[in-house]
Amino acid sequence: MKVVQEGKKEYWRWQEYQKILSSKNWEKSDIITAGVDVGSVGSKAVVMINGEVYSWSVTRTGSNSPDSAKKAIGWAMEGTGLELDDFKYIVGTGYGRVNVPMANKAVTEIACHAKGANHIWGPTVRTILDVGGQDIKAIRCDQTGRVTSFLMNDKCAAGTGRGMEVFADLLQIPIEDIGEVSLRVDEEPEPVSCTCVAFAKTEAMGLLRKGWSKEKVLAAYTRAMAIRMCALLKRVGIEKDFVITGGQSKNIGVVTRIEKILGIKRLPMPNWRGGGLDPMIAGALGAAIIAKALHERSK
Amino acid sequence: MTKKSIREKMYVPEIPQKEIEKLRNSIKLSSKKAIADHIQRMKKTSANRPKTMKYFDEIADLFGQREKELRAAKEEGKKVIGYLCTFAPIELILAADAIPVRVSSGWYDASKLGDRIVPVEVCPIIRSTIGAKMIDLSPYMELSDAIISPLTCDGMTKLSEILSDYKQIWTMSFPRVKDTPSSLSSWTEEVKNMKERIEEFTGNKITGKKLRSAIELMQRATGAFRRLQDLRKGPPVIMGRDAMLVTQTSTWDDIKRWTEKTEALCDELEKKVREKSWACPQDTSRILITGTPMIWPDNWKLPALIEEASPQGVIVADELCSGDRLLNDPVGVDEWTMDDMLTAISERYLMASTCPCFTSEDGNEDRINWLLTKIKDFKINGVIYYVVRGCMLYAMEYTRVKRALESMDIPIYYLDTEYTREDVGQLKTRVEAFLEMLSARIDF
Repeated sequence: MKVVQEGKKEYWRWQEYQKILSSKNWEKSDIITAGVDVGSVGSKAVVMINGEVYSWSVTRTGSNSPDSAKKAIGWAMEGTGLELDDFKYIVGTGYGRVNVPMANKAVTEIACHAKGANHIWGPTVRTILDVGGQDIKAIRCDQTGRVTSFLMNDKCAAGTGRGMEVFADLLQIPIEDIGEVSLRVDEEPEPVSCTCVAFAKTEAMGLLRKGWSKEKVLAAYTRAMAIRMCALLKRVGIEKDFVITGGQSKNIGVVTRIEKILGIKRLPMPNWRGGGLDPMIAGALGAAIIAKALHERSK
Repeated sequence: MTKKSIREKMYVPEIPQKEIEKLRNSIKLSSKKAIADHIQRMKKTSANRPKTMKYFDEIADLFGQREKELRAAKEEGKKVIGYLCTFAPIELILAADAIPVRVSSGWYDASKLGDRIVPVEVCPIIRSTIGAKMIDLSPYMELSDAIISPLTCDGMTKLSEILSDYKQIWTMSFPRVKDTPSSLSSWTEEVKNMKERIEEFTGNKITGKKLRSAIELMQRATGAFRRLQDLRKGPPVIMGRDAMLVTQTSTWDDIKRWTEKTEALCDELEKKVREKSWACPQDTSRILITGTPMIWPDNWKLPALIEEASPQGVIVADELCSGDRLLNDPVGVDEWTMDDMLTAISERYLMASTCPCFTSEDGNEDRINWLLTKIKDFKINGVIYYVVRGCMLYAMEYTRVKRALESMDIPIYYLDTEYTREDVGQLKTRVEAFLEMLSARIDF
């Protein structure tokens, strides 16, 4: 018997990267702070110099939170000459926030996302939808980026980044493309009835066997997820300006459907491949801002 | 006493004795650990924890001293009468020389056993109480010769039916509207019937003299409780979990001794107030919790999360039938005649209650009013509205409470959970985000 080794493409795998925004040289006298956001799927780190973003990294969370935190901040520092000792204050956030070994303090991702969104889009932001790897948060904030109320979905991971990864793999569509592919339908199909990732996958397999195209199945799943996110947003109450953070902000299929259901457009996403900030780093960015505030208070 | 089968079992499956023993031993073991662990954590959280808490730490052991005392009392011929819901008129039990003890279950693992009889959608307190009975886990339930079950929520109503497979259950039918012409009179009838039932069962006549001293005994307990409450209105001199444990132990402890120990605790706390020796920093966010009862030992999850959170919160008041509702209201008697006393008992249990099982044209106004009063008296910064899945009445009343509080600019957060340890990480994020929102010290 001969085993045929298939080259297995990992459709779910999204790109990990590092970015240095400014070529300016940092000095020892600068206030250097960082935020490290260890999420359930992605770990992000942002380095700030005197309150301005200097560099960041977006990496995949491993099985161990401290290692994921080290990897994220290590990538954000790479090629900058910075070392951990240069940081005045580091704030850890995200699901693994208590396991960020280099952090001076842990702050919840809810406070951090509000602060980060306020920095990315400005003081007009009032409602934030953060779709993370395993949960969804709807956050309301004031003009300073302070949280005024929030809601979180329960422990189910449906409709989150992890759910999308499962579908990318099932349908063999690269994760970066699934939003766009889900829009390639003439007419919106009925949403899948199960919001649980495991059940939705079973349901999707049934639909594929029934002869549905990949696009249609993906549209049905994406629509169900968008409906779920909108329900959370409606419960917290939506006030403009509205923004989306987290990995799903890049899923055009989800975003388009949310905008359609709510009748509200989100503020446009910054050109993060160019000079703009990636909405995926909003939590780590907020943490870095809070780190600066806490450093100044501790003086 | 041998357990006699009251009637044919309608709900409960036959479980082999070996399996019962195995399950009981393992849950009992983990429960003992949970009790020790919670007390250890409570000690750690509180700066200068009162020395008089030692007594309550000990009596908090559900498999300890009190169990032995109840056994000894039974050997002397005393009856133990359990109750499931705080509407049971315990003065009547005391007046008949019987021992009252609350038997609702806070064991997480037992709720999984209850799943064999009722679906998981049912309130976990109900499932857990069933589960505890299935494996004879709760000493207080096992030692109860009869159990009073006021039919308040749907869960309690069917629970009494299911427990009838094992135990003598005395139901009390309950009016859902307080202020109709017949509600008080029909409830008073139930109270009077219960008096006769208890007398017949115990063989002890409830005389006017005995009832008066039982009422006075409970009035003194209420007095001690209120003294403790007043101490919580100022800067935090005691952590919320400690005060909650003190209050909850009153449902199984000897009430006379409990009152003495609580008075001693209050003496110590008053000294701490004079010395300005606080349990946590004075600017810690002051939290009120309301919603589904939180029952020792396992379901101590939320109070622990709040008081161990970063930033920290301190629970200074609650509106729970496992907490501040237990002893807040004394029976108010005008004339010490039997009729007057029974009416006064009836009024105290019906009219003073803020349980969401009540409704009226104006909704459950009493609960809203009491919440708003407490928020003012205890200088509350934020309210956590706690609901276990399946607890319909509390869940459904949330929107109304939220509106009332928001109109007063009081932040409120709805937190739903289950009888499980698995969601602690998720709950921690929610609780901490709410506390960050409240905390003036985390002014980023």
